[in-house]
Amino acid sequence: MSRLRLLPSLLPGCLLLLVLASSAQAQFAASGTTTLSATIAPEAALQINTSTTTLSEAGTTFNLSFTGTTSFTFKIRTTKATGTGTINLKVTTDFSPSGGPSVLTPPTAGDALAYTCSLTGLGTACSGSQTASTTSSTPVGTFGANALSANAGNSGSVSWTLTDDPQYSTGTYTATVTFSISAT
Amino acid sequence: MQRDLKFQNNSTDKPGMEHLGDSLDLEPAKRWRRTLSGWLPRLLVSALAVGNGAGGTGSAVQTMSATLQPKGEVSVPSSLTLTAGGSPFTPFTGGLAVSYRVRTTPSGTGSTGTITAQVSADFSPTGGPSASASALTYTCGSASIGTACSGTQTASTTTQTPVVTLPASACTGGGGSCSSTNPASVDLNFSLTDSPAYPTGSYTASVILRISIV
Repeated sequence: MSRLRLLPSLLPGCLLLLVLASSAQAQFAASGTTTLSATIAPEAALQINTSTTTLSEAGTTFNLSFTGTTSFTFKIRTTKATGTGTINLKVTTDFSPSGGPSVLTPPTAGDALAYTCSLTGLGTACSGSQTASTTSSTPVGTFGANALSANAGNSGSVSWTLTDDPQYSTGTYTATVTFSISAT
Repeated sequence: MQRDLKFQNNSTDKPGMEHLGDSLDLEPAKRWRRTLSGWLPRLLVSALAVGNGAGGTGSAVQTMSATLQPKGEVSVPSSLTLTAGGSPFTPFTGGLAVSYRVRTTPSGTGSTGTITAQVSADFSPTGGPSASASALTYTCGSASIGTACSGTQTASTTTQTPVVTLPASACTGGGGSCSSTNPASVDLNFSLTDSPAYPTGSYTASVILRISIV
Protein backbone atom coordinates (compact mmCIF):
# COMPACT_ATOMS: atom_id res chain seq x y z
CA MET A 1 0.00 0.00 0.00
CA SER A 2 2.76 2.37 0.94
CA ARG A 3 4.45 1.65 -2.38
CA LEU A 4 1.26 2.56 -4.21
CA ARG A 5 1.11 5.80 -2.29
CA LEU A 6 4.62 6.65 -3.44
CA LEU A 7 3.92 5.89 -7.08
CA PRO A 8 2.31 9.20 -8.09
CA SER A 9 5.16 11.20 -6.68
CA LEU A 10 7.90 8.95 -8.16
CA LEU A 11 6.40 8.67 -11.63
CA PRO A 12 7.52 12.09 -12.97
CA GLY A 13 11.07 11.48 -11.79
CA CYS A 14 11.19 8.07 -13.46
CA LEU A 15 9.93 9.55 -16.71
CA LEU A 16 12.55 12.28 -16.53
CA LEU A 17 15.30 9.70 -16.02
CA LEU A 18 14.10 7.76 -19.04
CA VAL A 19 14.17 10.88 -21.19
CA LEU A 20 17.64 11.82 -20.00
CA ALA A 21 18.96 8.30 -20.56
CA SER A 22 17.70 8.20 -24.10
CA SER A 23 19.07 11.65 -24.92
CA ALA A 24 22.54 10.69 -23.63
CA GLN A 25 22.88 8.03 -26.32
CA ALA A 26 24.15 8.91 -29.76
CA GLN A 27 21.21 9.55 -32.03
CA PHE A 28 20.70 8.49 -35.60
CA ALA A 29 20.11 11.29 -38.05
CA ALA A 30 21.14 12.41 -41.49
CA SER A 31 24.33 13.71 -39.96
CA GLY A 32 26.26 13.44 -36.73
CA THR A 33 28.93 15.61 -35.21
CA THR A 34 31.80 14.54 -33.02
CA THR A 35 34.26 16.72 -31.16
CA LEU A 36 37.91 15.79 -31.51
CA SER A 37 40.21 16.86 -28.72
CA ALA A 38 43.94 16.61 -28.25
CA THR A 39 46.05 17.80 -25.35
CA ILE A 40 49.48 18.90 -26.45
CA ALA A 41 52.09 18.51 -23.76
CA PRO A 42 55.73 19.62 -23.49
CA GLU A 43 57.99 17.34 -25.48
CA ALA A 44 61.54 17.19 -26.70
CA ALA A 45 63.65 14.99 -28.92
CA LEU A 46 66.98 15.20 -30.66
CA GLN A 47 68.88 13.40 -33.35
CA ILE A 48 72.65 13.22 -33.67
CA ASN A 49 73.59 13.80 -37.28
CA THR A 50 77.26 12.96 -36.84
CA SER A 51 77.22 9.41 -35.64
CA THR A 52 81.00 9.28 -35.39
CA THR A 53 82.92 12.46 -34.78
CA THR A 54 86.53 12.19 -35.76
CA LEU A 55 88.87 14.37 -33.76
CA SER A 56 91.80 15.42 -35.86
CA GLU A 57 94.96 17.38 -35.30
CA ALA A 58 95.86 20.14 -37.68
CA GLY A 59 99.58 19.98 -37.16
CA THR A 60 102.36 17.73 -35.98
CA THR A 61 103.39 19.53 -32.81
CA PHE A 62 101.98 18.97 -29.34
CA ASN A 63 100.86 22.53 -28.88
CA LEU A 64 97.80 21.87 -31.00
CA SER A 65 94.73 19.94 -29.88
CA PHE A 66 92.51 17.48 -31.59
CA THR A 67 89.30 19.11 -32.80
CA GLY A 68 86.03 18.00 -34.29
CA THR A 69 82.36 18.93 -34.50
CA THR A 70 79.22 16.98 -33.70
CA SER A 71 76.03 18.31 -35.24
CA PHE A 72 72.51 17.51 -34.13
CA THR A 73 68.89 18.43 -34.77
CA PHE A 74 66.52 19.02 -31.92
CA LYS A 75 62.81 19.49 -31.47
CA ILE A 76 61.43 21.00 -28.33
CA ARG A 77 58.16 22.37 -27.00
CA THR A 78 58.02 23.83 -23.52
CA THR A 79 54.97 24.83 -21.52
CA LYS A 80 53.54 28.22 -22.38
CA ALA A 81 54.06 30.15 -19.19
CA THR A 82 56.33 28.17 -16.94
CA GLY A 83 58.20 25.68 -19.08
CA THR A 84 61.92 25.16 -19.39
CA GLY A 85 64.15 22.94 -21.42
CA THR A 86 67.72 21.73 -21.48
CA ILE A 87 70.18 19.92 -23.70
CA ASN A 88 73.04 18.25 -21.87
CA LEU A 89 75.78 15.83 -22.68
CA LYS A 90 77.78 13.28 -20.74
CA VAL A 91 80.72 11.04 -21.55
CA THR A 92 79.12 7.67 -21.00
CA THR A 93 82.14 5.64 -22.05
CA ASP A 94 85.61 7.01 -21.48
CA PHE A 95 88.33 6.76 -24.07
CA SER A 96 89.68 3.32 -24.69
CA PRO A 97 92.00 1.55 -24.88
CA SER A 98 93.96 2.80 -21.93
CA GLY A 99 97.25 4.56 -22.38
CA GLY A 100 95.72 7.44 -24.26
CA PRO A 101 93.43 10.33 -23.39
CA SER A 102 91.01 9.92 -20.50
CA VAL A 103 88.17 12.13 -19.35
CA LEU A 104 88.03 10.60 -15.88
CA THR A 105 91.73 10.06 -15.21
CA PRO A 106 93.85 12.18 -17.54
CA PRO A 107 97.57 11.36 -17.41
CA THR A 108 98.39 15.01 -16.91
CA ALA A 109 96.42 17.54 -14.91
CA GLY A 110 94.71 19.92 -17.27
CA ASP A 111 94.18 17.41 -20.04
CA ALA A 112 90.53 17.64 -20.96
CA LEU A 113 87.83 16.99 -23.47
CA ALA A 114 86.33 20.45 -23.79
CA TYR A 115 83.65 21.85 -26.05
CA THR A 116 81.75 24.94 -27.11
CA CYS A 117 78.12 24.99 -28.21
CA SER A 118 75.98 26.48 -30.93
CA LEU A 119 72.16 26.49 -31.31
CA THR A 120 70.40 27.87 -34.33
CA GLY A 121 67.19 29.85 -34.04
CA LEU A 122 66.07 28.79 -30.61
CA GLY A 123 67.39 28.56 -27.08
CA THR A 124 70.57 29.73 -25.43
CA ALA A 125 73.77 27.82 -26.14
CA CYS A 126 76.18 27.03 -23.35
CA SER A 127 78.54 29.85 -22.64
CA GLY A 128 82.28 29.66 -23.04
CA SER A 129 84.19 26.40 -22.96
CA GLN A 130 82.72 23.48 -21.06
CA THR A 131 84.64 20.45 -19.83
CA ALA A 132 83.00 17.14 -20.54
CA SER A 133 82.62 14.72 -17.67
CA THR A 134 81.99 11.04 -17.10
CA THR A 135 80.27 11.69 -13.78
CA SER A 136 77.90 14.55 -14.45
CA SER A 137 75.95 16.05 -17.30
CA THR A 138 77.20 19.34 -18.62
CA PRO A 139 75.16 21.97 -20.46
CA VAL A 140 74.75 22.39 -24.18
CA GLY A 141 71.75 24.69 -24.23
CA THR A 142 68.76 25.93 -22.27
CA PHE A 143 65.26 27.00 -23.20
CA GLY A 144 62.62 29.18 -21.63
CA ALA A 145 58.84 29.03 -21.54
CA ASN A 146 56.91 28.43 -24.75
CA ALA A 147 60.01 27.44 -26.69
CA LEU A 148 58.75 25.98 -29.95
CA SER A 149 60.99 24.38 -32.52
CA ALA A 150 60.39 24.54 -36.20
CA ASN A 151 58.40 21.63 -37.54
CA ALA A 152 61.53 20.12 -39.04
CA GLY A 153 63.50 20.88 -35.91
CA ASN A 154 66.36 23.26 -35.20
CA SER A 155 70.03 22.57 -35.57
CA GLY A 156 72.85 22.71 -33.09
CA SER A 157 76.46 21.67 -32.82
CA VAL A 158 79.20 20.99 -30.34
CA SER A 159 82.82 21.78 -31.25
CA TRP A 160 85.26 19.52 -29.42
CA THR A 161 88.80 20.10 -28.28
CA LEU A 162 90.90 17.26 -26.90
CA THR A 163 94.29 17.93 -25.43
CA ASP A 164 97.18 16.30 -27.26
CA ASP A 165 99.43 15.19 -24.46
CA PRO A 166 102.82 13.67 -25.47
CA GLN A 167 102.16 11.01 -22.85
CA TYR A 168 99.41 9.53 -24.99
CA SER A 169 100.58 6.43 -26.77
CA THR A 170 100.02 6.31 -30.47
CA GLY A 171 96.85 4.62 -31.60
CA THR A 172 93.15 5.16 -32.12
CA TYR A 173 91.03 5.92 -29.08
CA THR A 174 87.28 6.08 -28.87
CA ALA A 175 84.78 7.41 -26.33
CA THR A 176 81.01 7.68 -26.28
CA VAL A 177 79.12 10.88 -25.52
CA THR A 178 75.39 10.85 -24.86
CA PHE A 179 73.27 13.92 -25.53
CA SER A 180 69.96 14.35 -23.73
CA ILE A 181 67.16 16.84 -24.10
CA SER A 182 64.23 17.53 -21.81
CA ALA A 183 61.27 19.87 -21.63
CA THR A 184 58.76 20.83 -18.99
CA MET B 1 -3.68 4.93 -40.54
CA GLN B 2 -3.19 6.29 -37.15
CA ARG B 3 -5.67 7.13 -34.49
CA ASP B 4 -5.01 9.26 -31.54
CA LEU B 5 -7.29 8.86 -28.59
CA LYS B 6 -7.12 11.92 -26.45
CA PHE B 7 -8.89 12.96 -23.31
CA GLN B 8 -9.41 16.59 -22.90
CA ASN B 9 -9.96 18.26 -19.63
CA ASN B 10 -12.08 21.32 -20.04
CA SER B 11 -13.42 21.47 -16.56
CA THR B 12 -11.77 22.29 -13.30
CA ASP B 13 -14.66 21.68 -10.89
CA LYS B 14 -14.89 17.89 -11.11
CA PRO B 15 -12.96 15.43 -8.97
CA GLY B 16 -9.90 14.18 -10.68
CA MET B 17 -9.89 16.99 -13.20
CA GLU B 18 -7.63 19.33 -11.33
CA HIS B 19 -4.83 21.13 -12.90
CA LEU B 20 -1.47 19.90 -11.69
CA GLY B 21 -0.90 22.96 -9.60
CA ASP B 22 -4.25 22.57 -7.87
CA SER B 23 -3.52 19.09 -6.64
CA LEU B 24 -0.08 19.63 -5.23
CA ASP B 25 -1.32 20.21 -1.69
CA LEU B 26 -3.28 16.95 -1.45
CA GLU B 27 -2.18 14.08 0.74
CA PRO B 28 -0.73 11.19 -1.32
CA ALA B 29 -3.57 8.78 -0.58
CA LYS B 30 -6.15 11.40 -1.35
CA ARG B 31 -4.36 12.47 -4.51
CA TRP B 32 -4.10 8.87 -5.68
CA ARG B 33 -7.77 8.26 -4.96
CA ARG B 34 -8.83 11.37 -6.75
CA THR B 35 -6.59 10.52 -9.70
CA LEU B 36 -8.17 7.07 -9.97
CA SER B 37 -11.65 8.48 -9.68
CA GLY B 38 -10.90 10.87 -12.50
CA TRP B 39 -9.23 8.49 -14.94
CA LEU B 40 -11.05 5.25 -14.22
CA PRO B 41 -14.37 6.27 -15.78
CA ARG B 42 -12.60 7.44 -18.86
CA LEU B 43 -10.68 4.16 -19.17
CA LEU B 44 -13.94 2.26 -18.93
CA VAL B 45 -15.50 4.43 -21.60
CA SER B 46 -12.50 3.73 -23.80
CA ALA B 47 -12.82 0.00 -23.23
CA LEU B 48 -16.46 0.11 -24.17
CA ALA B 49 -15.67 2.05 -27.28
CA VAL B 50 -13.08 -0.49 -28.32
CA GLY B 51 -15.43 -3.35 -27.55
CA ASN B 52 -18.35 -1.85 -29.41
CA GLY B 53 -19.66 -4.25 -32.02
CA ALA B 54 -18.33 -7.31 -30.28
CA GLY B 55 -21.84 -8.63 -30.15
CA GLY B 56 -21.89 -9.59 -33.85
CA THR B 57 -19.60 -11.30 -36.26
CA GLY B 58 -18.25 -10.12 -39.53
CA SER B 59 -15.19 -9.60 -41.54
CA ALA B 60 -13.60 -6.76 -43.31
CA VAL B 61 -10.71 -6.49 -45.68
CA GLN B 62 -8.45 -3.57 -45.47
CA THR B 63 -5.70 -3.02 -47.94
CA MET B 64 -2.63 -1.56 -46.42
CA SER B 65 0.27 -0.25 -48.39
CA ALA B 66 3.49 1.38 -47.45
CA THR B 67 5.95 3.07 -49.73
CA LEU B 68 9.45 2.74 -48.44
CA GLN B 69 11.66 5.54 -49.56
CA PRO B 70 15.42 5.26 -49.77
CA LYS B 71 16.92 6.75 -46.69
CA GLY B 72 19.95 6.75 -44.48
CA GLU B 73 20.93 7.81 -41.01
CA VAL B 74 24.20 7.99 -39.18
CA SER B 75 25.29 8.16 -35.57
CA VAL B 76 28.65 9.00 -34.03
CA PRO B 77 29.91 9.40 -30.45
CA SER B 78 29.70 12.98 -29.31
CA SER B 79 33.41 13.19 -28.58
CA LEU B 80 36.72 11.53 -29.36
CA THR B 81 39.96 12.11 -27.48
CA LEU B 82 43.05 11.81 -29.63
CA THR B 83 45.93 10.15 -27.79
CA ALA B 84 49.54 11.24 -28.04
CA GLY B 85 51.93 8.91 -29.81
CA GLY B 86 54.38 6.75 -27.96
CA SER B 87 57.38 8.92 -28.76
CA PRO B 88 57.81 12.69 -29.02
CA PHE B 89 56.25 14.45 -31.97
CA THR B 90 54.58 11.38 -33.38
CA PRO B 91 50.94 11.87 -34.38
CA PHE B 92 47.97 11.82 -32.05
CA THR B 93 45.59 9.01 -32.95
CA GLY B 94 42.05 7.92 -32.17
CA GLY B 95 39.38 5.63 -33.54
CA LEU B 96 35.81 6.76 -34.18
CA ALA B 97 33.06 4.16 -34.56
CA VAL B 98 30.50 5.38 -37.06
CA SER B 99 27.13 3.61 -37.02
CA TYR B 100 24.67 3.90 -39.85
CA ARG B 101 21.47 2.51 -41.32
CA VAL B 102 20.70 2.69 -44.96
CA ARG B 103 18.10 1.63 -47.49
CA THR B 104 18.78 2.21 -51.16
CA THR B 105 16.64 1.24 -54.14
CA PRO B 106 17.52 -1.68 -56.41
CA SER B 107 20.10 -1.17 -59.06
CA GLY B 108 18.70 0.16 -62.27
CA THR B 109 16.25 2.37 -60.47
CA GLY B 110 18.84 4.20 -59.01
CA SER B 111 19.77 5.23 -55.57
CA THR B 112 23.17 4.87 -54.07
CA GLY B 113 24.62 6.76 -51.20
CA THR B 114 27.66 8.11 -49.52
CA ILE B 115 28.90 8.83 -46.04
CA THR B 116 31.29 11.73 -45.88
CA ALA B 117 33.28 13.60 -43.27
CA GLN B 118 34.00 17.27 -43.01
CA VAL B 119 35.68 19.39 -40.37
CA SER B 120 32.88 21.73 -39.40
CA ALA B 121 34.96 23.67 -36.89
CA ASP B 122 38.73 23.76 -37.10
CA PHE B 123 40.92 23.22 -34.07
CA SER B 124 40.80 25.93 -31.49
CA PRO B 125 42.36 27.85 -29.97
CA THR B 126 44.42 28.98 -32.90
CA GLY B 127 48.18 28.50 -32.97
CA GLY B 128 47.99 24.74 -32.65
CA PRO B 129 47.04 22.05 -35.11
CA SER B 130 44.82 23.04 -37.98
CA ALA B 131 42.78 20.95 -40.37
CA SER B 132 43.12 23.79 -42.83
CA ALA B 133 46.83 23.05 -42.83
CA SER B 134 46.18 19.34 -43.49
CA ALA B 135 47.09 18.30 -39.98
CA LEU B 136 44.15 15.91 -39.61
CA THR B 137 43.95 12.73 -41.65
CA TYR B 138 42.06 9.49 -41.35
CA THR B 139 41.83 6.02 -42.74
CA CYS B 140 38.74 3.84 -42.88
CA GLY B 141 38.30 0.37 -41.50
CA SER B 142 36.08 -2.10 -43.28
CA ALA B 143 32.45 -1.10 -43.68
CA SER B 144 29.71 -3.61 -42.94
CA ILE B 145 27.66 -2.11 -45.77
CA GLY B 146 29.27 -0.49 -48.77
CA THR B 147 32.85 0.25 -49.63
CA ALA B 148 35.01 2.10 -47.14
CA CYS B 149 37.40 4.79 -48.24
CA SER B 150 40.82 3.59 -49.30
CA GLY B 151 44.16 5.06 -48.40
CA THR B 152 44.71 8.09 -46.20
CA GLN B 153 42.16 10.87 -46.45
CA THR B 154 42.99 14.42 -45.46
CA ALA B 155 40.10 15.92 -43.55
CA SER B 156 39.01 19.26 -44.89
CA THR B 157 37.18 22.27 -43.59
CA THR B 158 35.85 23.11 -47.04
CA THR B 159 34.97 19.84 -48.74
CA GLN B 160 33.38 16.58 -47.77
CA THR B 161 35.79 13.69 -47.94
CA PRO B 162 34.72 10.08 -48.49
CA VAL B 163 34.04 7.57 -45.75
CA VAL B 164 31.75 4.95 -47.28
CA THR B 165 30.21 4.52 -50.70
CA LEU B 166 26.85 2.80 -50.42
CA PRO B 167 25.61 0.55 -53.21
CA ALA B 168 22.16 0.09 -54.67
CA SER B 169 19.86 -2.49 -53.08
CA ALA B 170 21.37 -1.96 -49.67
CA CYS B 171 19.31 -2.55 -46.58
CA THR B 172 20.29 -2.81 -42.97
CA GLY B 173 19.86 -5.76 -40.68
CA GLY B 174 17.90 -8.97 -40.81
CA GLY B 175 20.28 -10.94 -42.96
CA GLY B 176 19.30 -12.40 -46.29
CA SER B 177 19.66 -9.78 -48.95
CA CYS B 178 20.19 -7.20 -46.26
CA SER B 179 23.14 -6.88 -43.95
CA SER B 180 23.34 -9.13 -40.95
CA THR B 181 24.00 -6.35 -38.49
CA ASN B 182 21.92 -3.40 -37.49
CA PRO B 183 23.25 -0.78 -37.38
CA ALA B 184 26.05 -1.08 -39.86
CA SER B 185 29.40 0.35 -38.84
CA VAL B 186 32.72 1.62 -40.06
CA ASP B 187 35.71 2.75 -38.03
CA LEU B 188 37.55 5.96 -38.78
CA ASN B 189 41.13 6.08 -37.56
CA PHE B 190 42.14 9.70 -37.10
CA SER B 191 45.70 10.95 -37.04
CA LEU B 192 46.70 14.45 -35.99
CA THR B 193 50.15 15.85 -36.64
CA ASP B 194 52.15 16.69 -33.52
CA SER B 195 54.43 19.49 -34.58
CA PRO B 196 56.90 21.06 -32.13
CA ALA B 197 55.62 24.38 -33.41
CA TYR B 198 52.29 23.82 -31.60
CA PRO B 199 52.10 25.50 -28.21
CA THR B 200 51.10 23.33 -25.30
CA GLY B 201 47.42 23.18 -24.44
CA SER B 202 44.15 21.47 -25.31
CA TYR B 203 42.71 21.83 -28.76
CA THR B 204 39.30 20.81 -30.05
CA ALA B 205 37.69 20.55 -33.45
CA SER B 206 34.34 19.32 -34.73
CA VAL B 207 33.84 16.80 -37.48
CA ILE B 208 30.48 16.20 -39.08
CA LEU B 209 29.58 12.88 -40.66
CA ARG B 210 26.86 13.06 -43.29
CA ILE B 211 24.96 10.32 -45.02
CA SER B 212 23.19 11.04 -48.25
CA ILE B 213 21.16 8.84 -50.55
CA VAL B 214 21.01 10.04 -54.10
